Amino acid sequence: MPHDNDTNKSIPGQPKLELRHITKRFGKEGAGVLAVDDCSLSVENGEFVCVVGPSGCGKSTLMTVGAGLEDATEGDVLIDGEPAGPPGPRRSVVFQKFALFPSETVEQNIKFGLQMTGVPKSEQESRLVSQLRIMGLEHFRKAYPSELSGGMQQRVAIARALVMQPEILLMDEPFGALDAQTRTILQEEVQRLHREQHYTVLFITHSVEEAVYLGDRVVVMTKRPGRIKKEISLPRDVVWKTGDIEEAAEHPDFITARREIWSLVREEIMAP
Amino acid sequence: MLERGLSRLGMVSNRSKSLFYGFLSLTSLMLIWFLSTSVFELIEPRVLPSPVAVVNQLIWIIEVPFSGLTLPGHILSSLERWGWGVFTAMVIGIPVGVLFAWTPWFKSLMNPVFELIHFIPPFAYIPLAVLWFGASTATQAMVVFVAAFPAFVINTQLGVSQVDKILVDAARVYGAGPFATLRRVVIPAAAPSIYTGLRIAISNGWMALVGAELVVGKVGLGFMISQGQENASVATIFVGVITIGWLGVMIDTIVQRSERYVLPWRKNVSLNSG
Repeated sequence: MPHDNDTNKSIPGQPKLELRHITKRFGKEGAGVLAVDDCSLSVENGEFVCVVGPSGCGKSTLMTVGAGLEDATEGDVLIDGEPAGPPGPRRSVVFQKFALFPSETVEQNIKFGLQMTGVPKSEQESRLVSQLRIMGLEHFRKAYPSELSGGMQQRVAIARALVMQPEILLMDEPFGALDAQTRTILQEEVQRLHREQHYTVLFITHSVEEAVYLGDRVVVMTKRPGRIKKEISLPRDVVWKTGDIEEAAEHPDFITARREIWSLVREEIMAP
Repeated sequence: MLERGLSRLGMVSNRSKSLFYGFLSLTSLMLIWFLSTSVFELIEPRVLPSPVAVVNQLIWIIEVPFSGLTLPGHILSSLERWGWGVFTAMVIGIPVGVLFAWTPWFKSLMNPVFELIHFIPPFAYIPLAVLWFGASTATQAMVVFVAAFPAFVINTQLGVSQVDKILVDAARVYGAGPFATLRRVVIPAAAPSIYTGLRIAISNGWMALVGAELVVGKVGLGFMISQGQENASVATIFVGVITIGWLGVMIDTIVQRSERYVLPWRKNVSLNSG
C-alpha cells in the first residue's frame, strides 16, 4: 500500500521539519554541558536527510529535540512552519536500542500508537496487517520481542513507526546495534521504502557509507559542542541508489561523496 | 545438539536429585521423631507427642471443633485476614511505590515517615489495632498490612525506577499519556520486581498474622496454638505449627509458579537479553 500523500500537506518553499537555531545545554548555564550549539537544519517534504558526526557530538540530542522529547534550551522546532510542540502522531521515532515494549507482542507493539491516537479498531487491524507484510513480520505477530533477533526487533520498531503514517520519520542510529549483515539488509529496505513511499526522514548515524547510500543530503556536525559543519547534497534518483549497497559503494559518485564526507568527519575526530 | 541434550538431562537429574534429598530429609526427620517417641519412648509425650498422636489429633480437629472452630475453620479465618491485609497493602503499596519512583518531592516528603514506620515491628501495632478495631478481623488484617506494605513500596519503587527511560520516551512518541504509559509500559516492565515484593509481602504478612493471632482474637491458627497451650494439648500445638508452615510453603509455591502465567513474556528473557 503506497504511502498516502494527502496527509502530507506540503507548502511549497516551506520545509517539512525545521530546526531553527537549536541550542541544548544540560545542567546550569556556565557549569553545564553544551551539547548542541546553534544548529539550524531543515528537511524538505519527501527528503532523506542524514546527520553524521563524531561520537558524542550531540547528533542524538538534536534528534531528541527534533522529536519533541526534550525542549531546546534555545531555538525552535517547526513543522510546516508551525511550532511542533510535544511528541505526537505527526512524528514517529525509531530508536537505536529498538525500545520495543517487552511485555507486548509484535502485534501489540505495532498497534500501540494506533490505539493511543484513537484510530478505529477495523482500521487498526488493516494497517497492522499491511505493515506486517511490508516488513516481513507476518509469522511473528504473536511473538514477544525477547523471542526475536536484533534485526527482527528493529523491523518491528520500524513497523511501529510507519504504521502511524507519520509526516516525519526520525531515526536515531537505528542500525547501530545490529550485526553487519543484518544492517546491510535493513539499509536496503529503508532505501527501498523511501524511494517507493517518499517518507520525510531525519536519520542520525555515525556511518559515512550509510549516510551516502541513504541520504539525499548529508549534514556533517562538528565535535562537541555540536554545530553544523557542512551540508552536502547528493544526487537523487540515481541508478546506483536503487541497487544494493555493495554495488552502490563501487560507483564513482559514491566514492567521491564518501571521501569528501569522511575527510570532514575525520577533521573533527582528529581536531584537538 | 548432543551437548545441549546432555545438559538438559543433567538439569532433569539435578532436579530429581534435589527432590529426592528433600524427601529423604523429611522422612528421616519423621523416622527419628517416630523412633524417639513411639518406639523407644525417649521423650515424654507431654514434651514431644508421637507423630501418631499428632496425626490422630489432626484428624480429630478436622471434624470436631477445637476452641470454637474445626481446623479448616481456623485455617479459613486466618487466610481471610491474611488475604485482606496483603490485598490492601498491595492496592496502596504499589501506587505509593510508583509515586516514590516518579515524584521526587513526594518521596522527600514521605520517606522519613516511611522509614520510621518500616522499622516498627508489626506486633507493636497490635495494641493500637485492638483499640481501633476491637478483636475483629480488621485488627489482624491491619497487622498483616503493616508487615506487607513496605515490601510492596520498596520493590515497586525499585522496579519502576529501573525501567529504561527509552521505553517511556517511546510511549510518549506514540501518543501515550502518563496513565497509559504506566499501565502498558512501566508497570509490566516493573512487574518482576513487584512480584518479588509480593512474595516478600506474603511471607512477612503470614508470619505477622500468626503472631497477632497468638496475642489477640478468638479464631485462627495462631489462636488455636495458644489454646493448645492453655489446654496442655501439645499435639494441637504441633498440628497448628505444621499447618502454618505447610500453608506458607503452599502459598509461596503457588505465587512463584503463577509468575510465568501472569508475566508470559518473561519466559524467554534469559535466552535473548541483547
